[in-house]
Amino acid sequence: MVPPVQVSPLIKLGRYSALVLGMAYGAKRYSYLKPRAEEERRVAAEEKKRLDELKRIERELAEGDTILK
Amino acid sequence: MARFIRNFAEKAPALVSAAVTYLKPRLATFWYYAKVELVPPTPAEIPAASQSVKKIIQSAKTGSFKQLTVKEAVLNSLVTTELRMWFYIGEIISKRGIVGYDV
Repeated sequence: MVPPVQVSPLIKLGRYSALVLGMAYGAKRYSYLKPRAEEERRVAAEEKKRLDELKRIERELAEGDTILK
Repeated sequence: MARFIRNFAEKAPALVSAAVTYLKPRLATFWYYAKVELVPPTPAEIPAASQSVKKIIQSAKTGSFKQLTVKEAVLNSLVTTELRMWFYIGEIISKRGIVGYDV
């Protein structure tokens, strides 16, 4: 078998610091994106509710089935 | 469905032992190389690393990096790419998903 290569210390330092930096970056970005995604979901749910309400009113008008008959 | 589970339960130990006998020598070679090559740097190696950084900065200042052969330059770019991959692996680990953030 080929003997294992002695990796230069700079490369080793670089690798593991890149790993740690990547983990830090991922954690930061996750905590930044999470509240924004929840806000977006909340807004989308409200919008959907509003549109459903409008559609319901329209449907009832089409059937002639409102309280104001 | 029940028959599938029964067949699987009967065959599983044989499959597991076959996988183990296949993996053992390969894991041994991986460990043999990883013990030397993938070990994190000890604090004693930091001065050597800072020396290498100084050399790189020196070669950038004096312009001697233009004397590198193409083969050396390709190797350096491969090393840089490997460094970027370690960064992405760290990001994948911390966001607990391979593609995209699972918010």
